[in-house]
Amino acid sequence: MLGAAAGVLLGACDRGTERPGGAGGGKSITVVIAEYSKDHTKPFWQGLAEQYTKQAGVKVDLRIVDWNSIDQQVSTMIQNNQPPDVLNLNSFSSYAKDQLLYSADDVLSPKTRDDFIGAFARGGEYQGKLYGFPILSSARAFFYNKDLFARAGVAGPPKTWDEFVQTARKIHALGGGVIGYALPLGPEEAQAEWAIWMWNNGGDWKSGDGWAINSDKNVQTLRFLADLANRHRVTQINPGKTNRTDGAFQLFKDGKVGMVMGFSPLAAQLDAEKKVRYGVAEMPTAAGQAVTLGVEDYLLAFKKSGNQDAVKQFLDLYYQPENITRWITAEGFLPVTRSGLSQMSSNAKLKPYLDALPNAKLAPTTDPAWDRVKLDVQQNIGLAVQPGGNPKQVLDQLQKNAVAAASAR
Amino acid sequence: MGRWQALLWLGPSLALIAAVVVYPAVALVRASLSRYSITGLYQGSVGAANYARLLEQEALATVVANTVIWVAAIVVLTVVASLGLAQLLNEDFPGRRLVRWALIVPWAASLIMTSKLFVWLYDYYFGILNHVLISLRLVAAPVDWLGNDATVMAAMIAVGIFVSLPFTTYVVLAGLSSIPGEVYEAARVDGASPWRTYRSMTLPLLRPALLVAVVLNVIYVFNSFPIVWTLNDRNPGFAHDTMITYMYKIAFKSSLRDVGLAAALGVVNVLVILIAVVLYVRIISWREAEA
Repeated sequence: MLGAAAGVLLGACDRGTERPGGAGGGKSITVVIAEYSKDHTKPFWQGLAEQYTKQAGVKVDLRIVDWNSIDQQVSTMIQNNQPPDVLNLNSFSSYAKDQLLYSADDVLSPKTRDDFIGAFARGGEYQGKLYGFPILSSARAFFYNKDLFARAGVAGPPKTWDEFVQTARKIHALGGGVIGYALPLGPEEAQAEWAIWMWNNGGDWKSGDGWAINSDKNVQTLRFLADLANRHRVTQINPGKTNRTDGAFQLFKDGKVGMVMGFSPLAAQLDAEKKVRYGVAEMPTAAGQAVTLGVEDYLLAFKKSGNQDAVKQFLDLYYQPENITRWITAEGFLPVTRSGLSQMSSNAKLKPYLDALPNAKLAPTTDPAWDRVKLDVQQNIGLAVQPGGNPKQVLDQLQKNAVAAASAR
Repeated sequence: MGRWQALLWLGPSLALIAAVVVYPAVALVRASLSRYSITGLYQGSVGAANYARLLEQEALATVVANTVIWVAAIVVLTVVASLGLAQLLNEDFPGRRLVRWALIVPWAASLIMTSKLFVWLYDYYFGILNHVLISLRLVAAPVDWLGNDATVMAAMIAVGIFVSLPFTTYVVLAGLSSIPGEVYEAARVDGASPWRTYRSMTLPLLRPALLVAVVLNVIYVFNSFPIVWTLNDRNPGFAHDTMITYMYKIAFKSSLRDVGLAAALGVVNVLVILIAVVLYVRIISWREAEA
């Protein structure tokens, strides 16, 4: 029995060292795309895949994967030595670090590369080379409920943090379950909410090349957020345990909330439901200049023997201006190319986000350690705003882990 | 010749067992002895280092304690409730068929859907549970069932019992219907009270059914992922995780993001459940031999 088990074990190890021959004959490529919406993601990519197969004679194994399980599925594919050929993800640098990817030099035509907006191209670089090809972008904006503002006698959206606190108090004081500000610091997207507040107090993730998560500014910011919850009491219950989609957004869509950090898909839902009259504004800031969070997602091209041409043709097809812009417009996101920007700038609905884009900052996705730091922040920062939570202690621990992640192999 | 023929007949099922039981088990053990990059890339063997690191994890003690509470509470309460329910369903009353069918529903529904449903029932702002409790004046203010550290585990356990009841009740019901009527007749002739009959007749004769119910429930509840995952997804850290959700978080959702470490916990999980079940069956058969 033991001998048999050992035999299988050895066999399994042998298999593990083989190189993948998946696309060896150039007959098919595997494309994994994250599901941005039920309505638009699959139809667009299916259409693109058909067009590609017609042109290139290469079949596409298209997999649309939801965001909750994409990390797991990709990890499993790589463990089994069957990585996809093209992958859509919100991170790339760990994959570049593991030398799994083609760089833009290998698989993008010069025309495509030159079309990328500079900031987004830089956001996809690892050690000076472009590995994370921008696929789309989004920007957060400050959403407020116009009816609640009118009832509370507030003229317009707050510009500073002081105004923000006063506004939140006035709205919360309306009573009847009305919430001043919905603060989602639960695990789903805490790093995004936190980053916006952090930047608008003049803090940052890093200082130079090193992590600076527990800087004095950041401790001050997290104390401010804890005070919103526990001293001013202008947030929903347990903000450290509230997620974005089924928590903060749901409450805002229900008209219970005065203010929330949103993005264009939330606007689309609000427009469809027509229940809440809302306005979109810049983030309130304590740093003089309002900063928002820009999010860039990527296409990754995996190095596998014999797939380079097939992958190159596929990427070229996606990055043709009419294709990429058609999809981004359908999903309600923001462009990553100059041609897309000039086409979409006339869209009135996107104006607040496009206006915010020049002052948008990106998460430090170019640092492979970020992939761990992000998860650490998601899992832990909420603890700081619970009653009795200790903001400084939480940030100290995050900083310690970030430094350890940065020095790990 | 006969032997080879037997193998031919057994072949398909042996192949199936090898593919869905043996191979994954071997792969799990192999993964637990390996190091993987955050991307999932294999980086070589590390011997037992993952097991040593597992013991160093601060959250481990909490998670183990949660798991014990989770399994024990659900199995005990489910079995007790099922004994009552099965007794009821064993009686003849109008509408019994309907009630029996209704009981299957929580079993047939997908666990994820059931869990999502309960997330909304428990919701602080929209949930019907708070609404009802306040109308009945049982609580003065709404309770954040899934956000309050004191109530999360109980809220999850309640869902666990809800979905475990159908199976357990049916197992007990099958046990009840296998008890011959003469036994009760004899008890009645001897003048035993209903309670006495239940304790001295029904319960001992249900023992095989209860053994099955407990063993299968322990395995099932221990390995249950969707309920804890869905109801606890808003909570930071590992304060309410069981060994199963903790394993998933180690692999994909925490800053560890370590498939090797998660696989080590996976192996430990299999061993824990194996030992628990073997011990339980041993104790039961030992007590039976005593009796």
